[in-house]
Formats: sequence, C-alpha cells, structure tokens
Amino acid sequence: MGTFHNDKSALHGITVVVDTNGPKVYVGRCDDEDTEKVILLDADVHEAGQNGKTKADYVNRAAKFGVWKKFDHIVIPRNEVASIKRLGEVEPVAEAKPTPAPKVEAPVGVPPPGNANAVVTLTAAAREEVKRLIQVEGKPGLGLRLGVKGGGCSGFTYKLEFDTKKEGDMVIDYGDCNVFLDRKSTIYLRGITLDHQKGLAGKGFVFHNPNATNTCGCGESFAV
Amino acid sequence: MPYPEELVKPMRAELSSIGVKELKSGAEVDAFMAQKTGTAMVIVNSVCGCAAGGARPGVKLALNATNKPERVATVFAGQDLEAVAKARSYFADVPPSSPSIALFKDGELVHFVPRHMIEGRDPKTIAADLSKAFDSYCVGAKA
Repeated sequence: MGTFHNDKSALHGITVVVDTNGPKVYVGRCDDEDTEKVILLDADVHEAGQNGKTKADYVNRAAKFGVWKKFDHIVIPRNEVASIKRLGEVEPVAEAKPTPAPKVEAPVGVPPPGNANAVVTLTAAAREEVKRLIQVEGKPGLGLRLGVKGGGCSGFTYKLEFDTKKEGDMVIDYGDCNVFLDRKSTIYLRGITLDHQKGLAGKGFVFHNPNATNTCGCGESFAV
Repeated sequence: MPYPEELVKPMRAELSSIGVKELKSGAEVDAFMAQKTGTAMVIVNSVCGCAAGGARPGVKLALNATNKPERVATVFAGQDLEAVAKARSYFADVPPSSPSIALFKDGELVHFVPRHMIEGRDPKTIAADLSKAFDSYCVGAKA
C-alpha cells in the first residue's frame, strides 16, 4: 500500500529523462505533464557538451547512478520537449563509470609526480604549501588526506586535511610529503590535480578534476 | 514534514512483519552497520505508492529465496530523518533516493537499487532483480 495521486498523469512519481529539441536534457521525478508543460521534481539538467559530455553520456550515467538534484521543481515548456522516457528503461552502456562504491584494488604503488597514471597529482606549488603547513603543525608522520564525501551544491564535497596513514589507504609518496586516499574516494579522485594559488586573487588549494561533470562556483563541490 | 505516524504504521509493518529490523535512530543504524562481516541489506522505505508500494512486496518475495542477506534492516525516509541520514552516509557516493535498497558484503556496498529501478515495476520484477544480486553476493549466507 502507499499514497496515490489519481489526479496526476500516468508518469507521476516516475523518474524520467526529458530530452529537448535543443541542447538540454533533464532528469527528474515527473510530477505532472500536459499539453503545455512537463513538471519535474528533484531534477537535474545537462547541456550537450557540458564538461565534455554528450546528452547520451549524461543519460547513460544517470541510468546507472541516478542524479543529484539541482532543482526542487522545474517546468519545461511542452514545445521544447522532444521525448520523455522512463530512466529505469534506459540501458546503461558499457562506457558508463563503474557502479557506485565498487571495490577498489588494494593500495598500489607510488606514482611519480606528473605521471599521467597517477591517481592524484600535486603541483609543485601545492607540494610546497603542504610541506610548509605540515612543518607548522610540527607533527611527524602527518600527510595530506584527500577524499570526497556526499554533499555540497553539486553532489560531492572534497575533503582536505592533515592526517596519519590509516589501514587500507592508498599512499602517494612525493618524497617530501605523503598523500593518503581512502579506497572509496580513489575512484572519484583518479586523475585529479591539486594546485595551490597564492596572492590576493588566489584561491588557496584548487582542485582540477577531469571526472567532474559539473562543479560548483565555490569550487568545493562537484558532480560525477 | 513527516507524515502522521498512523498513516505510516502499516507501511512499516509490511517490512517489520517479515523480520526486517526497523532502525529509527542514527545510533541504531551505526550499531547495525558495525558488523563488518557477512551480508546485510538496508531498505530505505518510503510512503510513495508509485515506488515503495512495489518495493515492499518485492523485498518480501526476494527474501523467500535461498540466497539472501544475513541481516536486513530498514529506515523510513521522511519519517526517521536521523536514521535515514545516517544510513545514507554508508552509501554516500550514491545520489539519495527513496525507496532504495543497499546491499553490503563485509561492510562494503556491493549493490544498490535506486528509486528509478523500482518505480513503476511490479513486485515480481523488483524481486527478480534483487534475487540476481543475492545470487551474486549472498550464496551460502546464513539468514
């Protein structure tokens, strides 16, 4: 048993993909639709080419993981709608990212800085700043822990803190400083570069994440 | 804002009556998740008839199979807010949706059924999908 809404359209309560005649595609829970409009709740929108992803790439990813909502409520004019499809009917294709929270291989070697296969790369400026801050902390054995956690305006938030190595961590040894990553975060941080920008206009530590399909203006939150 | 408890009660009972443990606080969720060995399933229940109306009987059918998780618990979205937030922290990589179902093996999330894979489907289809996951991860588990 549950709640029912007989006054709404057949797609009420169903997560749908609304493709448009233009570059936008929406994913959200259909509240209602009629000849004038489609109303989505808890919706996300993607524009073709945004972050290097086609509409199909985006829908494929959504089919596998769902979406992090950006809008509580969005109204799409019917004349812009090319098609509406249930997200549950979209078959994710092989190119999609791995399923959420898959097992990551046991901690692997020590990729040298700048190596294209490195999980995380610290620029020289970032390394210098990390070294300096660890010296200020004055605690031997400290390294930089990078991670992600759910939250923030784009879905994920970066974690950046000083810590000691924990069991299961992947360790990246830069010689003068260590970077620790927990297994779950590794998949989201693969390929990331951490930079440090100084000066009045500088932002401090800055993440460059090739996996992010969307980032927030604050730079602390991202989506994959 | 939570629904009146009287309205939700039968939806809770649909799962608790088949032995699914209800977790109503963050501490109860932590206690349930503290056991890191074996298989465990957490169902995020919901009042939504469009999806949870099929999910609950789907879970019930799936749990009749030989292969199934050793421990099964549920939190109720929109009702037990602290418990739901805590439960979602154990699968924080996944966009939140309700109803949804998370399957863990040895403390790690191995399978997740988001809302969009539940809504509009009949209980048998939902059960079949779950059973497939159980066959992959729960073989030989003592439920």
